[in-house]
Amino acid sequence: MSTSMLGSARAMSSNLNGLSEMLRRTVVEVRSGASGSGTGIIWGGAGLVVTNAHCVPRGAALEVGGDGKWREAATLAYHPQHDLALLAAPSASGPLLETRDPESLRAGELVFAYGHPLGVHDSLAMGVLHAVTREERTNRVRWIIADVRLAPGNSGGPLVDAEGRLVGINSMVVNGLGVAVPANLVQRFVERALSQRAA
Amino acid sequence: MSTSKSGKASSTLADLSSQLAAAVETAGNSIVAIHARRRIPSSGIVWRDGMVVSASHTVKMDEKVPVTLPGGESTVGTVIGRDSATDLVALRIDGAKAYVAAKAETDALKVGSLVLAVGRPGRDVAASFGIISAIGKGWRTWQGARIDRVFRLDLAVYDGFSGGPLVDASGAVLGVNNSALARGTPMTLPALAVDRVLDELIERGHVRRPFVGVAAQPVALAASLVKQHELSDDAALLIVSVADGSPAESAGIFVGDVLLEANGKSLSRPTDLLDALASVPGGEQLRLKVLRGGAVKSVSVTPSDRGARQ
Repeated sequence: MSTSMLGSARAMSSNLNGLSEMLRRTVVEVRSGASGSGTGIIWGGAGLVVTNAHCVPRGAALEVGGDGKWREAATLAYHPQHDLALLAAPSASGPLLETRDPESLRAGELVFAYGHPLGVHDSLAMGVLHAVTREERTNRVRWIIADVRLAPGNSGGPLVDAEGRLVGINSMVVNGLGVAVPANLVQRFVERALSQRAA
Repeated sequence: MSTSKSGKASSTLADLSSQLAAAVETAGNSIVAIHARRRIPSSGIVWRDGMVVSASHTVKMDEKVPVTLPGGESTVGTVIGRDSATDLVALRIDGAKAYVAAKAETDALKVGSLVLAVGRPGRDVAASFGIISAIGKGWRTWQGARIDRVFRLDLAVYDGFSGGPLVDASGAVLGVNNSALARGTPMTLPALAVDRVLDELIERGHVRRPFVGVAAQPVALAASLVKQHELSDDAALLIVSVADGSPAESAGIFVGDVLLEANGKSLSRPTDLLDALASVPGGEQLRLKVLRGGAVKSVSVTPSDRGARQ
């Protein structure tokens, strides 16, 4: 193997370290009593967490955790059709995630899932974009399908591209493929939820 | 690529990512969707001008096979031949000329090479990513076809990917993916083997599979027999059945005969007989050395073509 090839393998490896370090500061663990735990994304820098609706049953007491500390959180809004929930978590803060326009996604590009699969904290998984599915009526991207290994506990966690931009929120596994809610739907959900509260 | 606003630019990773996406796009230009089974379409590759190959088990009709071209146009194809031993089918599709796939040199491929599986299980192209996990030599499919090199994959071959290509990082085709050939384990039939099969399918609609009609099992001969007949070793094949109306029956081979040699090569395993058969040109004879009733005899058999009966 040539030195330049070794160099690029090393560079790629250190890129991955950087990516996982950035993502570690972006996610929290979301826990609700008996229903186990999922992953959440700190939204907008501080105070808000987005996760899957199925990770936070209605009425259950919620906690978000990071760095070994657990703090109370409360649900602000639900969108069960898109499997999204917005939480108020005053203690949470992290870097701003840029979002990726789903129309610009290309099959085969690298994607990364970050979360706490099966209770294993801060796991990074690499894969590629498999396909997107569209709504028949509007032709808008409805789900993002990724060839990446997910497990329970990844739910609510980020799927990002090679530059760390949010592609979607991991929601489920279908036929071994990861299925994520597109980032633009997440963004719209958060904006609507916040404007409704403000009104 | 390395100047994203997020400041978390990771140029190597981003470069690899866009290279992989470009490879999928390139490959996708020669992948068609074939709608010839229930539930989900399968994939096909435009291998030559107007000629598409796919996995035979996914194409359940022969005439007016509905096909979606890479550009989204609908057309129909006609099956010109199938080979059940390699599970390949060839379809003629007029109008598919523009999209012939680029083939990669597979000799340089090593364990650990980055590869993508690409399919078109619907309108759009879909991809999965991994590495070559092993390269098998001299593998035989359960229907008896011998394949010189097969690629075992550390990647997922999803529904609708059978018949689609395995591609390298530039999008050039390494072979045809198939999840049925090795009974559920995904594997790839290399481009060279596909070419060989396709040549035969175009020429005669099937792949010639010489057939004599015997079943045999290995036996060890008594030391006295080996010495008496001056044999090279004690391994041989015992005939346990002879098919009715087969070339072996016409040649006077009986159950209980012991095969010692075929065309001068000694036989110790049933696959040795298959190899000997494969080396006989069409219409020519296979010379067998047979031990019967303590005496060595010579028997000549003219194999028939089993492929033609499929």
